Amino acid sequence: MGPLISYNIISQNTNFLLAFLIGVGFGFVLESSGFSSSRKLAGVFYGYDTVVLKVFFTAAITAMLGLLFLSLFNWIDLDLVYINPTYLYSTIAGGIIMGAGFIMGGFCPGTSFCAASIGKIDALFFIGGLFIGILIFAEGYPLWEGFYKAKYLGIPTLSHALGLKDGVVVLGIIIVALGMFWVGEWAEKKFPREEY
Amino acid sequence: MKPRHILALVLLTLGLIMAAIPQNTTHPYKLSPEALLEHVNSGMQYVTPDEIADMIINEDPSLLLIDIRPENEYEKFHLPGAINIPLSSLLDEQWKPYLDQDTRLNVFYSNSTVNANQAWMLTRQLGYKNNYVLQGGLNYWAETIMNPSAPPSTSPDEEIARFEFRKGAGMALGGGAENATSGADNPAPALPKIAPKPTRKRASGGC
Repeated sequence: MGPLISYNIISQNTNFLLAFLIGVGFGFVLESSGFSSSRKLAGVFYGYDTVVLKVFFTAAITAMLGLLFLSLFNWIDLDLVYINPTYLYSTIAGGIIMGAGFIMGGFCPGTSFCAASIGKIDALFFIGGLFIGILIFAEGYPLWEGFYKAKYLGIPTLSHALGLKDGVVVLGIIIVALGMFWVGEWAEKKFPREEY
Repeated sequence: MKPRHILALVLLTLGLIMAAIPQNTTHPYKLSPEALLEHVNSGMQYVTPDEIADMIINEDPSLLLIDIRPENEYEKFHLPGAINIPLSSLLDEQWKPYLDQDTRLNVFYSNSTVNANQAWMLTRQLGYKNNYVLQGGLNYWAETIMNPSAPPSTSPDEEIARFEFRKGAGMALGGGAENATSGADNPAPALPKIAPKPTRKRASGGC
């Protein structure tokens, strides 16, 4: 039955409409849970607030479980679900750039728009920087195209690499995530910060 | 118990269930029976012998004839350039790149159209594109291209023109003596090189 768009059950335009509605909901929940505060976001790097880690990992494991159960009921064909292809070097470089920008700016791309929507000036500057980065990447593309496309690995998945069933990998990730949550809460007690 | 503990327990339980049950590896078929029936009724899968003869003579590189009869029948006689994929092995992994592609025109044929239609329906169900069936099969091919019967002289011009084309095509393709074409004279062509299809049609997306 799914993905709806691959099976032409909904049109591309309906898909955009649904994406828009989901996006609005996503932004609303992000803002209302405090993700528009750069101090809260940066807190995950210093240990005084790990809510970002908890929220995003909870979302990831919920989605993993959801997809596997949908696949189990034959409601979705997992082979047709888009997985970002992996180019190893650009993934590593992108991760470093994203991480550095995250610590310095206190936002990730999504939350910066969230914060800009409630009028935060630092978020507007962050978005400005984001566009400058996009411009440099796009205009200089011929310069780094080789590096960008180097070490193409296809779409490796953990279950493939480990030779395990998807379900076992998901259980492992849930256990690891719960462990991280526990460590995160311990860190929050260990490195408390009063006002942020 | 705090809500977070309840949530953790729920996630762990679901994870345990997922880890314990076998993975679903089936792929739901693409077409509903109604849609398939509509396709069958419309006859959209057929390509006429005249079109095929024209493409063979012009050595159209986009045409790939697929003989789905058993190997021994294929060796006795097959259309020029045809490859052999016996119906019984149609779903073998090795044939997938030939059947699931979007550049060439694949035309199935057998002696009549029954087996070719079966092959077409299977590939259709799997969601593969560009697969067709030779109208009337080899029997009709022999009747129309190899041994065309002259229409009465009172026939309309188109009829006469078609006969002339068929006569010419039949001669170009060794007509009249098609039964004498042996495997030795007409060896199986090397399988065309197929670049593996890079991606399946996935829903696009990303962060």
